[in-house]
Amino acid sequence: MFKNILVPTDGSAMSRRALGRAVRLAKEQKARITGLWVGPVWQPTLYAYDESVPAGFISPRQFAASIRKIAARQLGAARKAAAAAGVPCRVVSVQNNFPHMEIVKAARRHRCDLIVMASHGRRGISRLLLGSQTSMVLAYATVPVMVCR
Amino acid sequence: MYYKHIMLPVDGTELARKAEKECIAFAKSIGAKVTAIHVVSHFHLHFQPWAAPRSVHTKIEKEHEEEAGEIAQKMISALTMRAKADGVECDGLVVVGDHPYEEIINSAEARKCDLIMMASHGRRGLDAVLLGSETVKVLTHTKIPVLVVR
Repeated sequence: MFKNILVPTDGSAMSRRALGRAVRLAKEQKARITGLWVGPVWQPTLYAYDESVPAGFISPRQFAASIRKIAARQLGAARKAAAAAGVPCRVVSVQNNFPHMEIVKAARRHRCDLIVMASHGRRGISRLLLGSQTSMVLAYATVPVMVCR
Repeated sequence: MYYKHIMLPVDGTELARKAEKECIAFAKSIGAKVTAIHVVSHFHLHFQPWAAPRSVHTKIEKEHEEEAGEIAQKMISALTMRAKADGVECDGLVVVGDHPYEEIINSAEARKCDLIMMASHGRRGLDAVLLGSETVKVLTHTKIPVLVVR
């Protein structure tokens, strides 16, 4: 019934478990998965003293390089899990300070018919009943969303 | 088969009907069985205690619950018949309780369901909130994955 499952991942243990479930479901449905990683947007840290470059400044180029590395690592895990199960997989990385927006957009852009994601992300379970990004995806998605813990 | 037994909470709304259709289609595609559940809320009368004797309260509350239960039973039976007509093994459950999410989760866990599939919103509709309150409560109180249908 589902042909293309979108799996957002942020590297947390919970998102890894959601990935496992998504891959098993995709295998059974003979579907493909689309792995998605959303990273932050470069922002200069602005300390105004002396007009000299403040400590802790990271250039856009350095930032982009570290983003590429992290994306490759996170999405590499998705690729590996899919390959082990024989499930076709495409990976996408995007930058946006509001991951939920990219998740909803990606489902449309890549014609996914299901989103499988963890109930919570990196910040973990203790503070919120339901993770902030998962809540927003549930509110704005136009396809069914499977929430895993 | 990955998912073997799906719990389908319904409340009689259009969106629940959509969740039902998608659930049946999904169950059919993976050979899973479905248990549909409707939770009837306790009917609490709020009279001034001196306006009528306790026995009258209890009688009215009980009558309401019985009637609501009968209507719910009819709805659930119609649902299970539709499922069976589509070749999906399906049974139904009507439970009376004050907290739908609690009854849904207890029933799902008792029956060892491995997936809960439900609508994103209930009777109060899409306009008021981004995600229905009972759906949020089910999501946050169970380890069973929940597939939310919009």
